[in-house]
Amino acid sequence: MREPTRTTTLRYHQVAIGDELSDLTLPITATVIVSGAIASRDYQDVHHDRDLAVERGSEDIFMNILTSNGYVGRFVTDWAGPEALIQRVDIRLGAPNYPGDTMVMTGRVKEKSDGIITVELVGKNGLGNHVTGTVDLRLPQ
Amino acid sequence: MSVDFKVVSHFASDLRDRAAIAGIGATEFSKDSGRSEMRLAVEAVTAALEDAGLEPADVDGYSVFSMDNNPAIEVNRQIGGGDLRFFGRVHYGGGAACATVLQAAMAVATGVANTVVCYRAMNERSMQRFGAGVQDRRPMPTAESAHFGWYAPYGLLTPASWVAMSARRYMHEYGATSEDFGRVSVADRKHAATNPAAWFYQQPISLEDHQRSRWIIDPLRLLDCCQESDGAVAVVVTSAERARDLRQPPAMIRAAAQGASHEQQMMTGFYADRITGLPEMGLVAQQLYATAGLTPDDIQTAIIYDHFTPFVLIQLEEFGFCKKGEAKDFIRDGNIELGGRLPINTHGGQLGEAYIHGMNGINEAVRQVRGTAVNPVKDVEHVVVTAGTGVPTSGLILGRD
Amino acid sequence: MKKSETPLLDQMRQLTGAPVGEPNTARDPVNQAMIRHWCDAVDDRNPVYTDPEFAEKSVHGGIVAPPTMLQAWTMPGLMSREEREARAPRGPSVLRLLDEAGFTSVVATNCTQAYKRYLRPGDLLTVSHSIEAVSDEKKTALGVGHFVTQLTCYRDQNGEEVATMRFRLLKFRPTERSAGAERRGAPKRSRPVPSINHDNRFFWDGVQAGRLLIQRCFCGKLRHPPGPMCPVCRSLEWEAAEACGRGTVYSYVVAHHPPIPPFEYPNLIVLVELEEGVRIVSNLVDIEPEEVEIGMAVRARFDEVEPDRILLQFERAKG
Repeated sequence: MREPTRTTTLRYHQVAIGDELSDLTLPITATVIVSGAIASRDYQDVHHDRDLAVERGSEDIFMNILTSNGYVGRFVTDWAGPEALIQRVDIRLGAPNYPGDTMVMTGRVKEKSDGIITVELVGKNGLGNHVTGTVDLRLPQ
Repeated sequence: MSVDFKVVSHFASDLRDRAAIAGIGATEFSKDSGRSEMRLAVEAVTAALEDAGLEPADVDGYSVFSMDNNPAIEVNRQIGGGDLRFFGRVHYGGGAACATVLQAAMAVATGVANTVVCYRAMNERSMQRFGAGVQDRRPMPTAESAHFGWYAPYGLLTPASWVAMSARRYMHEYGATSEDFGRVSVADRKHAATNPAAWFYQQPISLEDHQRSRWIIDPLRLLDCCQESDGAVAVVVTSAERARDLRQPPAMIRAAAQGASHEQQMMTGFYADRITGLPEMGLVAQQLYATAGLTPDDIQTAIIYDHFTPFVLIQLEEFGFCKKGEAKDFIRDGNIELGGRLPINTHGGQLGEAYIHGMNGINEAVRQVRGTAVNPVKDVEHVVVTAGTGVPTSGLILGRD
Repeated sequence: MKKSETPLLDQMRQLTGAPVGEPNTARDPVNQAMIRHWCDAVDDRNPVYTDPEFAEKSVHGGIVAPPTMLQAWTMPGLMSREEREARAPRGPSVLRLLDEAGFTSVVATNCTQAYKRYLRPGDLLTVSHSIEAVSDEKKTALGVGHFVTQLTCYRDQNGEEVATMRFRLLKFRPTERSAGAERRGAPKRSRPVPSINHDNRFFWDGVQAGRLLIQRCFCGKLRHPPGPMCPVCRSLEWEAAEACGRGTVYSYVVAHHPPIPPFEYPNLIVLVELEEGVRIVSNLVDIEPEEVEIGMAVRARFDEVEPDRILLQFERAKG
């Protein structure tokens, strides 16, 4: 288990464009995929039933988009702190997350204005970029 | 045991006792070898040469499966082998197993070569599963490709499915049941359970386990289908005289034969008048008995190719161990288990030990002749070995010197 | 009308902006249990989601839901296929029009969520969907297709908009090269196609025209599968004779495993003995596997199993 997340929150003035976020390395397991799908009430069989996923032309079960969104949210607030307010998540979807793969999320601060910072991030797995995009965060002044 | 089985003498060849298997080798059997097929091949081949007490430089011939992905010249270069005077490849999948030994024996019997190696090396489980079926094949206007066109559009795509079609008709005509097929699995797994080299070592099954196993393609259940395996097996064939001077007691090639019927198909023998036999295996049996001068009564144990259980029953019939349609009764009496009339697949077969396209069965037959098998059969004189069924096939009778 | 526009685009653009289906209200209000479950699943330790004490002292003044959990609140939950189909919106829809035009494959490309406020336990969401935009026909690496942007609005119990989501997907006609990529996004694959050569072309042409043709030598010998020479008289001449289509089940199997797309399982495959005397492999349809028996009378029919693809199938003979 990882350490508890930070309880303090970065202030707007503490952040500079180009700052790098702490990496998040996520081993993708069937448990990660299935628990995310069920927690988001997504019962599509391709997210929990390997035989059916294969029958439908996939290599294996794969992570649903809602779960990917969840990891994006966690990735930015793990770094910025609990009172950073997520305003907007804009992601582009790519290579699927299959069990046995590892996704490494990296990010940096891209823009900063009016109390809002924009983080640019990539979640990369063995097949390529699973997710790329930006998150707008409002930080305390 | 007396079955009306007539040996047709004109099928006899001149091959009796002209050549012998002098060495055997194998890798471990697994589901993921973690190394290349080429490496598996050279490991098995050098183990077989070591077993025989021969040097790689002694090798002057190869006889291998056309389905093997490892060219003989590459294997030979890797092991530091000699100049080659004979190299042949046998087609038709697992039907090639005993035929590689037949062709090696012909080469040494005629002086074309002195030391011929036969091998089969495959990462069949981790790299290229046959059980996955013939999907994703690009159609080509060739005869072999067109052949699949009569089946693939309907979903008849796997070896299990092709065998199942014949098996259903066999059940219909002779009253055999799924349980009868299951008895083959039970025997194989019983033998594998005491063979440390077997994948299913110490894992016997009951008939109830078989009956509870899921359908793969009705009438075949999971436990009617052999494993998919990674591994390699090799044998060294040389002349009988030379074999006597080598490290191991020779396993004499009392007879070796190939067979394809005049209506032969590749796994889909659905069109002959009757489809409940394996006439190509009957043809192999006739040649083996005639060449060896033996009858079914002279055989103490047999390696019966067991990719799918129904064809084990039919082979027992084709070899005259029981009458047509009566294999179910023959196996019901425990005849095919250790201690029975004809223990089969004493290594566990391809259902229990590993699926190496039948070559691991040849190794087991050699061990029975030498008396070194982990499940030895008493007073073995002659062992029958068969190769892939439903395809053009082959067989051997090995015996003591 | 712009030159690039087509009747399909016209139809689709008439549907943009209009709601898709009825607004749908969440089955449960935002609640701590589902939040905790979500945080466990993605291992999010942010205390404002699960620690009441911390949350109360925070900028939120109490527990809030993770914003990226937005969609989960209005997901329908576990449903059978029948239920799902019964609930699918009726009438014309952009996605259906695209399906019908052959853009059958789909891959999600973008998801943008904008949050007006954090949700709190007790909030009850209602969701409504519309098609916001349809692109011109685009050439993509996967194939030719249209990008479709769906707009989803989330409102709370007071009718206030709390969040929006734009979901962009590509509906495309797969190219051969994209077959691998299509496997990930879109499930539909075609049945294996036969290899057609000089010896068997007549058969497959016949099937496409709804005729069951068997090769017949002028000596009278019928041959299936066909080949260039008659094994009886060695003639290389032959004709294609039309079979009556009646026959009996000679053998059959019921395929369960491995499931190979696009076949549906269990898949019933029969070996039919035709009245003319030759045997042929096909599927037996409109029957349960338990009802099949060897010897059962069957008859040929020709089904369009895929667009423009006719295949020989058999069904139980009537009467």
